[in-house]
Amino acid sequence: MSDKKDHIQNIGRRHFLRNTAVTGVAGAGLAGGFGAGALLNSRQVQAAGGNGVEVAPGELDDYYGFWSGGHSGEVRVLGVPSMRELMRIPVFNVDSATGWGISNESKRILGESSRFLNGDCHHPHISMTDGSYDGKYLFINDKANTRVARIRLDIMKTDKVTTIPNVQAIHGLRLQKVPYTKYVFANAELPIPQINDGRDLENPDNYFTMFNAIDAESMDVAWQVIVDGNLDNTDADYTGRFVASTCYNSEKGMTLTETMRNERDWVVVFDVEAIEAAVAAGNYKTLGESSVPVLDGRKGSQLTRYIPIPKNPHGVNTSPDGKYFIANGKLSPTCSIIAIDKLPELFDDSIEPRDTIVGEPELGLGPLHTTYDGRGNAYTTLFIDSQVAKWNIEDAIRHYNGEDVNYLRQKLDVHYQPGHNHASLTESRDADGKWLVVLSKFSKDRFLPVGPLHPENDQLIDISGEEMKLVHDGPTYAEPHDCILVRADQINPSRVWTRDDPFFAETVAMAEADGVNLEGESKVIRDGNKVRVYMTSIAPQFGLTEFKVKQGDEVTVVITNLDQVEDLTHGFCMVNHGVQMEISPQQTASVTFTADKAGVHWYYCNWFCHAMHMEMTGRMLVEPV
Amino acid sequence: MKRHPGHLGCLLALLWLFWLPSGVYAANWFATPGEPLQPLIERATDGDQLLLPAGRYPGRVVIDRTLHIRGELQAILDAGGHGHAVVLAAPDIIFEGVRIEDWGDNLTALEAAIFVEPSAHGSTIRNNQLSGPGFGIWLDAVNDVSVIGNTIRGDTRLRSQDRGNGIHLYNVSHSIIESNDVAQTRDGIYLDSSRHNVLRDNTLHDLRYGVHYMYSFDNRLEGNLTQRTRTGYALMQSKRLEVVDNRSEADDNYGILMNNITDSLLSGNRVEGVTQPLGADGEGRLAGGDGKALFVYNSQFNRIENNRFAASDIGIHLTAGSEDNLMAGNAFIANKQQVMYVATREQDWSGNYWSDYLGWDLDDSGIGDTAHEPNDAMDHLLWRHPTARLLMQSPAVLALRWVQRQFPVFRPPGVRDSAPLMSEPGREGNAP
Repeated sequence: MSDKKDHIQNIGRRHFLRNTAVTGVAGAGLAGGFGAGALLNSRQVQAAGGNGVEVAPGELDDYYGFWSGGHSGEVRVLGVPSMRELMRIPVFNVDSATGWGISNESKRILGESSRFLNGDCHHPHISMTDGSYDGKYLFINDKANTRVARIRLDIMKTDKVTTIPNVQAIHGLRLQKVPYTKYVFANAELPIPQINDGRDLENPDNYFTMFNAIDAESMDVAWQVIVDGNLDNTDADYTGRFVASTCYNSEKGMTLTETMRNERDWVVVFDVEAIEAAVAAGNYKTLGESSVPVLDGRKGSQLTRYIPIPKNPHGVNTSPDGKYFIANGKLSPTCSIIAIDKLPELFDDSIEPRDTIVGEPELGLGPLHTTYDGRGNAYTTLFIDSQVAKWNIEDAIRHYNGEDVNYLRQKLDVHYQPGHNHASLTESRDADGKWLVVLSKFSKDRFLPVGPLHPENDQLIDISGEEMKLVHDGPTYAEPHDCILVRADQINPSRVWTRDDPFFAETVAMAEADGVNLEGESKVIRDGNKVRVYMTSIAPQFGLTEFKVKQGDEVTVVITNLDQVEDLTHGFCMVNHGVQMEISPQQTASVTFTADKAGVHWYYCNWFCHAMHMEMTGRMLVEPV
Repeated sequence: MKRHPGHLGCLLALLWLFWLPSGVYAANWFATPGEPLQPLIERATDGDQLLLPAGRYPGRVVIDRTLHIRGELQAILDAGGHGHAVVLAAPDIIFEGVRIEDWGDNLTALEAAIFVEPSAHGSTIRNNQLSGPGFGIWLDAVNDVSVIGNTIRGDTRLRSQDRGNGIHLYNVSHSIIESNDVAQTRDGIYLDSSRHNVLRDNTLHDLRYGVHYMYSFDNRLEGNLTQRTRTGYALMQSKRLEVVDNRSEADDNYGILMNNITDSLLSGNRVEGVTQPLGADGEGRLAGGDGKALFVYNSQFNRIENNRFAASDIGIHLTAGSEDNLMAGNAFIANKQQVMYVATREQDWSGNYWSDYLGWDLDDSGIGDTAHEPNDAMDHLLWRHPTARLLMQSPAVLALRWVQRQFPVFRPPGVRDSAPLMSEPGREGNAP
């Protein structure tokens, strides 16, 4: 590791003099020029705990970070700790560069919901085997249009999108950790009439929402559980049996004020084994046109238990040792520590719900989310205090039991008003306590002003030592609700596509039906007013430099990139037709449009590919009718 | 209309009838110690008075008509360990002079000594003594209520988090909370979605938060005192507050916290001794846990005038774009760090008093001859290493300050008082 890595540049004038040694001031007296020298020397600040901060040009990061892009609808891939943005993965948005939402392959994956041009993703989570990240998939919710998407981490592309029936606004999302990610658990936040066909419009008593389990392989909805109240965030345990979700609206209020009345709302715990048994026994119904099994998990059900938690709780996070669900109080300055090993007794009704609480530390104002270092410490964002509180879980439990022990370790100002925070590998057994990312909701004046809309501020904190050290401010566009940090060796991305990839298999099958060999031929197939234009691309040429269609034809352009060279991506853009897409090495991509204007229309490659990239063009000749 | 109840069960006597201005007869009922009150209430009608002679009364009571309930000294209502002791469920009830004990501790069920339902608008709750585990007085979506002169004590056998709040206002408007004394509950007064209320002259001590405040517009806090709380006044997410002449003494964490407060007045408040608990080594036990006399966060368009912030870890911590506040006539007295200003744009707060101002007033104008910059790099250094304060007058420090003035590029942006007062407002003849 280079010497540079042991230091960081002073990252703002605000930190000026932060760590200047006082002894130097005391000892120096009035020696000429000393004062200015001391000020200048203070610009170098020691980094904490030996975690390297500067990742020099050409060096690789130790971690992948996957960031939700919030209501931009995308997922972003960052290198940590450099915080360099490595890639964007369009999910629920339309992406001009890659043609996501434009190409036929992406529209197939988006399915019927491809008509939506927006999305709102919050919670990215990586599939696990036996409680460790297996690097296979990343799942993310869409609150805006009630969807769950899967990203294949080998190709870093969205490969499945499922619309969840019977509910609205998927918010909390987490994965089964043990024995493997069989289910994606997804909370629908906002209660609606069941069935939502115009009945009960003004009868909120008949509004309900559901906890949803999606099969992680097929991405079919496996089952849904109706609950009381609403559902906010969720997390799963390390036995595979329990999942916990917060509810901030136990009142089932329809206005802000109504949702704030109760002193305690709750965490609802789901017994996955009991739910599976009920589904197998046929103890469910279906609603409307959906065939998904719907079970009743309202109070009194054997499938759920409701644990009262103060007050409008938000995040719930499983500790990496598997012992606790920790629910974050939001309007209460407390976190509630739920002992997972007491949950079987709760489901046996041998203890009361609040008996599962083994600690309820007072941390500060507005606790929202908690993350862990794997050394017994928890890190909780305090939205109102605008701080992160580091605290020790076992000490908080001892305090709850009456011992005079200070469970708080440190409070660190963050800028400003943090929502989620996330430590490296924290949602797995392998939490390593190296890095903490705090996703601050406001940057205020931390960056050069860019007009009324401000970036958010993602802050990187070194937690490898006893003390948290803020080392980086990162402006981000709307709006990383959450992120996940995974060791670089836990992800194995493909370098180029393989020809049998299911991502474009349907397009390959279409070519086969047309008798076209994608790996060699460029050819136009006419089928009435439908025209399929197959061509290869090898830098710097398309397989066809011109093709002819009739005005009004529905044209499908299918391009196969035969370059084998890593990083040699082509693009296809048909001028004046709103058509654009990415074709990476060994990929087949297609796009369909109407040739509604007679005349000459150029197409060109728009992912830079070659010295003669500009010359990689062709003409679509449209004959007037 | 008149009634002549005789001896009926637990009913003791009808003493007299009297003439009400509204033109109806009102009855006076006497309760019998040891007997429940509910049968009496069910026989009474609007306008009646129920008197509780000294003694213990069992059970829980729902007052569902407009009565005047008055306890004599040592009239004690014992709720028997669960539920609300008293529910007010009719308008214009007067409930006074009763000692209430042993109501429920179920916070999930909002159990309170006095639970005031939405129907009880216009009611008065005064001079009661409440001592028990759950909430003291819960005002539930009610208007025009007076809560005056009550003494409320929590149950110290419970963890702080497991106790109810002293006086809890949920969705309450146009009510007066005055001259109550609350201690050892969880929070003293909790306001949630409540508007146009006055909180005046209350004494709130030995609590989690003195006044805990969420999303409540247009309220006035005046003349209250908090002592030994874990935050005196936690004011959050609200507009148009008047916070006047309150005191905070020896609170932890924050004296007054203003988080996302706009268009409000903070005037004449006195905060002293907000420090975090010290460990055995005499240092603060928690890095980043410094006590702040005033925390101004993401708050704009406020007037902060004539307040006094003294003897705290930090006098004022101002951050997150808290600009466009008028800040004048305040005194910052001997705080370990007078100002912690976290922002990049400079602020001029003219006309405050700074106990650490080192300048002179050669023209005797009452205003220092040089501007004061409480947030200069030297203060950063002193804040980081408080022991360096011993060197405050040393040639090295003075030289450093001189260098900063000559080379302003080295100076982090911060707060500047271009007209620092030479003496504390309100003292030595200066008007407050």
